[in-house]
Amino acid sequence: MDFMMAYLSSLSPINLLMAIPGNIAQGIIWGIMALGVLITFRLLNFADLTVDGTFATGGAVTVVLILAGAPVPLALVAALAAGLLAGTVTGLLNTVLGIPEILSGILTQISLWSVNLLILSGANKAVNVDEYPLIVTLRNVKSSIVTALVFAAVLICILYWYFGTEQGSAIRATGCNPHMARAQGINIDFMKVLAISLSNGLVGLSGGLLAQYQGFADIKMGQGSIVIGLAAVIIGEVLGDALLGKSMNFALRLGFVVVGGVLYYLVIGLVMWLKMPTDLLKLLTAVIVATFLAVPYLRAKSKNSFALAGKRGAQNHA
Amino acid sequence: MKKKIAVLLLAAATALSLTACSGGSNASKSGPSSSASSASKASAGKHYTVGICQLVQHPALDAATKGFQKALTDKLGSRVTFNMQNASGDSPTCAVICNQFVSSNVDLIMANATPALQAAQTATSKIPILGTSVTDYGTALGISNWSGTTGKNISGTSDLAPIEQQANLLHELFPKAKKVGIIYCSAEPNSKYQDKVIKKALTKLGYTCKDYTFSDSNDVQSVTKTAASESDVIYLPTDNTVASNTGIIKNVCLPAKVPVIAGEEGICAGCGVATLSISYYDLGYTTGEMAYDILVNHANPATMKVKFAPKYTKEYNPSVCKAMGITLPSGFKAIKASS
Repeated sequence: MDFMMAYLSSLSPINLLMAIPGNIAQGIIWGIMALGVLITFRLLNFADLTVDGTFATGGAVTVVLILAGAPVPLALVAALAAGLLAGTVTGLLNTVLGIPEILSGILTQISLWSVNLLILSGANKAVNVDEYPLIVTLRNVKSSIVTALVFAAVLICILYWYFGTEQGSAIRATGCNPHMARAQGINIDFMKVLAISLSNGLVGLSGGLLAQYQGFADIKMGQGSIVIGLAAVIIGEVLGDALLGKSMNFALRLGFVVVGGVLYYLVIGLVMWLKMPTDLLKLLTAVIVATFLAVPYLRAKSKNSFALAGKRGAQNHA
Repeated sequence: MKKKIAVLLLAAATALSLTACSGGSNASKSGPSSSASSASKASAGKHYTVGICQLVQHPALDAATKGFQKALTDKLGSRVTFNMQNASGDSPTCAVICNQFVSSNVDLIMANATPALQAAQTATSKIPILGTSVTDYGTALGISNWSGTTGKNISGTSDLAPIEQQANLLHELFPKAKKVGIIYCSAEPNSKYQDKVIKKALTKLGYTCKDYTFSDSNDVQSVTKTAASESDVIYLPTDNTVASNTGIIKNVCLPAKVPVIAGEEGICAGCGVATLSISYYDLGYTTGEMAYDILVNHANPATMKVKFAPKYTKEYNPSVCKAMGITLPSGFKAIKASS
């Protein structure tokens, strides 16, 4: 009991609150990455593993260009372009060469490792916030939150508009029912390549933002990012369903994906604040995310199970 | 109605934290002290909080952290609290950890490994930062014209192995060899740097060097097999992935009778013949002493030169030497083999 009291008194809620803005900033940047994952995962129905490589490519391209003196917006556009290219390769591997989607993603991811090493001419490159005009940085968290929110908002508007256009709707149709889409005259191969390419473009862009935020690009910065992206997408969906239920439209779904990214990073911040043994960080994060996802599902089940319906029926008819 | 209340509460909490942040980041006021029993802020009984950001669980990094903590506890006793965080190999998590340190206003940040140091540099320009287990500070921090001091709130210790002396060690033990193969992980910047330096030193001594790189532990065996078939001697820099896979390397090189010179003691204990070793624990201890200087004597990290390992020893692995039939000249200390 004494141990518990000592432990609880050593946790300072102020420290947790003060750390939140930084976690929010990083969460929004990963939320932008999750928007990319949403496109392939929800609209095309497969988990695109290329993103682990594309994320680092975006970061690498941005840092190398900034160090060479390019203006930051140009470096970010280049990161977007690099992502588009990587996505196109995956798409072509799948549609032209007939390689299954997940495998195409893995193949591109593996190749991007070498490409990233070449771009960085090494495994790691620093971009010093004191020497370059970075637009998001851990040094200035508040302005980073604003910038990242602006990016996220603009991207959500663009995506919302795009998926309402004819081409965008064709992409959604391809993912929903490819056979019917082809029967309607949609070139599903082209749509697939386009969607994967777009998705990786967004991931590359967010990689560029994160590299600036943390002040360096590292060959391993993308490892595990598909997991974070998927977690953000699903957390966002679960949260959106729980809060808004039936009135959630596509734009709000996109918004909630970014919220999902923020929540994931808030959970990591919480786990760190709890001063648990540091080796358990990943396990505890997974447990908390799993609880988060399980609670609405279990609540829904407890309200809607056949057993309960039977009991209710029995009470009514007794 | 309940859902709307939940959303409003969440928004209010976020807004509150944002305003708290704006209040804390400009002024130099520190929030209520985290340990209720801390003494007053008079310099005599001042209590220090030190944040330690370690990149990954790894014997060398763990030893450096232990040495660092020992040095500070030796000098400050119970007047120092450590907030020890480990990024578990995720470099973006280093940014999360450093953000937490900055927002809870620690007195000093110890960054163990390159990505941790880079994240700490970005996180703050005011809180003193000490790096350790970083080989080259100039490249790590993106500072051109590196002169030994950073000129800002960063200093630390470098684990740069005494590479020229290691090349001499290789020459002393294997003067007749012609080809040297250097195996390392392409994801580690420190390894690439050591590879560059040792290639220069070995080529000066008359050897032909070739690189054999792998991207992760799955490729270690095949790359080592190729290296063993093409080289007379193999050199392993202080590479984290190599250090975790010495068993595989030993199983390839022993039967092939290709001797291995290792960059540090842990790797040598796993698969090497001999090494010129630094102790990461001592390196961490030196970092702790530098930290004491900064905290209590108000030394300025901007002018503190990056320090190197205090001493190194010639060591050999008796079981590997016996299995290969190699006898070493005197002057080497024996290490216990790890497998």
